[in-house]
Amino acid sequence: MTIPLSHYLIVSGILFTIGLFGLMIRRNILLILLSIELMLNAANLNFIAGSALHGEINGQLTAFFVMVIAAAEVTIGLAIAVLLFRKMDSVDTNDIRHLKG
Amino acid sequence: MNIMWSLLIPEWTVFAFLMILLFGEMFSREFSGKLASQVTFLGSFVTLIACFSVLGVTDSTFGGSFMVDSLATFFKIFFAITLIGVVPMCHEFFDRRLKNPGEFYLVLWSSLLGLFFLVSANDLLLLFIALEIFTLSLYIMAAYLKHELLSIEAGLKYLILGSLASAFMIYGISLIYVSCGSTSFPVIREVFALRTTHSLILLGILFILSGVCFKVAAVPFQFWVPDVYEGAPTPVVAYLSVASKAAGFAILLKLLFTVFIPFEAARTLMFSVLAAMTILYGNLGALVQTNIKRLFGYSSIGHAGYLLIGIAVGGEAGTSALLYYLVAYGLTNIAAFIVITEVGRRVGSDKIDAYRGLAKRSPFLAGTFFVALLSLAGVPPLAGFFGKFLVLLAAVRGGLGWLALLGALAVAISLFYYLSLVRMMYIEESSSEQAIGVSPVSRFLLVILTASIILVGFWQEPVLSFTRTAVHALF
Repeated sequence: MTIPLSHYLIVSGILFTIGLFGLMIRRNILLILLSIELMLNAANLNFIAGSALHGEINGQLTAFFVMVIAAAEVTIGLAIAVLLFRKMDSVDTNDIRHLKG
Repeated sequence: MNIMWSLLIPEWTVFAFLMILLFGEMFSREFSGKLASQVTFLGSFVTLIACFSVLGVTDSTFGGSFMVDSLATFFKIFFAITLIGVVPMCHEFFDRRLKNPGEFYLVLWSSLLGLFFLVSANDLLLLFIALEIFTLSLYIMAAYLKHELLSIEAGLKYLILGSLASAFMIYGISLIYVSCGSTSFPVIREVFALRTTHSLILLGILFILSGVCFKVAAVPFQFWVPDVYEGAPTPVVAYLSVASKAAGFAILLKLLFTVFIPFEAARTLMFSVLAAMTILYGNLGALVQTNIKRLFGYSSIGHAGYLLIGIAVGGEAGTSALLYYLVAYGLTNIAAFIVITEVGRRVGSDKIDAYRGLAKRSPFLAGTFFVALLSLAGVPPLAGFFGKFLVLLAAVRGGLGWLALLGALAVAISLFYYLSLVRMMYIEESSSEQAIGVSPVSRFLLVILTASIILVGFWQEPVLSFTRTAVHALF
């Protein structure tokens, strides 16, 4: 029994939405980075589903590239979070309001 | 598969300088000091020359995923010139503040490498990776003053919101991949031309466009701009305001006019509404600012609005006007930010109050800033005026008269805040009469930039014919 494409799309849509809501609701930088990761993985799921559907290898390759990019993004995010923690003893976005706006 | 390495001469040059800096950094102490900025300055000229090696060439390699055409070459030359303008600013700004400023130039080169691949990408995957190389470098650059809270905060905000935009973009790309079975532009174009109402592709396009609109700072994706502009180091803001915007428009031009061609009717409506909102938001927001970098943030949003008119109109007239506007905006913004860097360094403040009586303290800086502000506001006969004129003319001819009217009204609003800066510099008295010096390189660059703002305004034909050739790649 094969799972139809729509199932994958629904799951990835749900993942993406959870990530989006997490990013908007959470106030902890680490959890925000986690939410972004979730959104990127939703895209990865689509790539792999598409790759299986079309019988084409490029989608799986793309998923690897996206993982690398996600790792790089989180690395920079954590580095900045460390800088912020040294400065303010907090990684809570509620405490970051020195730039008005 | 035959790979034509000669097509990648500009990229190789950038890569070579990236490596020189990387290894220089590792093995030589001197490199992390003054030498790095000098090598970078030299390298930006070499890169500019290297870009001319692919001038007029139209070809693709790497299985068609890397494409050189007149539009890509136009943008490469544009970015190389931007780098030439930005490096002396970085030297002024960072070399005094940091112990090892050399590393900064390493990040700067890697962002440029991303930009060069971005404008040549003929495949959504390459496009996305190149864009990420560029923006990841920008996050680092925005947070580069690691002892200043404002810079860290700017970097963090930019990172979170930028990653959100990237997530939207890659999700859109994944939807398009699912429906087309490929990330290559020609394949997507064929599939989309056959199935113009395929809902997954349309959804994918919307996701990608919202990601790109973030880069160009179109309302409602503009909320990061004022904060990042205020907090990030001034030279980085200059680079960001010109390069990031140009990169966003390069993607929009490429995607909308060569890949998603049947999207045209929706494009005009969507982008004229976006342009109208962006122009209004940027220019009204700028009225109440007290920090010069924040003011330029809002003004750059306003300019993005005019550039979006070019996308909404489309066709050869709209897109070549857009490129002309981009050139004028780039030259003027770099000139303005050189002045802001100099004033910020000598006076120690980015508040607008610091510009009180600038004409007495440094007639040269005040004079060049005056020309730059007038060009940004769109006063004839400067470059900015013809940019606005061409874009609005294209809008009228393209049947978007209401948008042109709105754009013309917004010029009046923008005159108010630009001229109030001029009034502050020339009429009001400063608390301090101490003269402000200018470093020789900045002085030289400012003279060149001011001259070219005036020249490009008076003598538009060379630039205009260059932009027309560039957009021939699209139609």
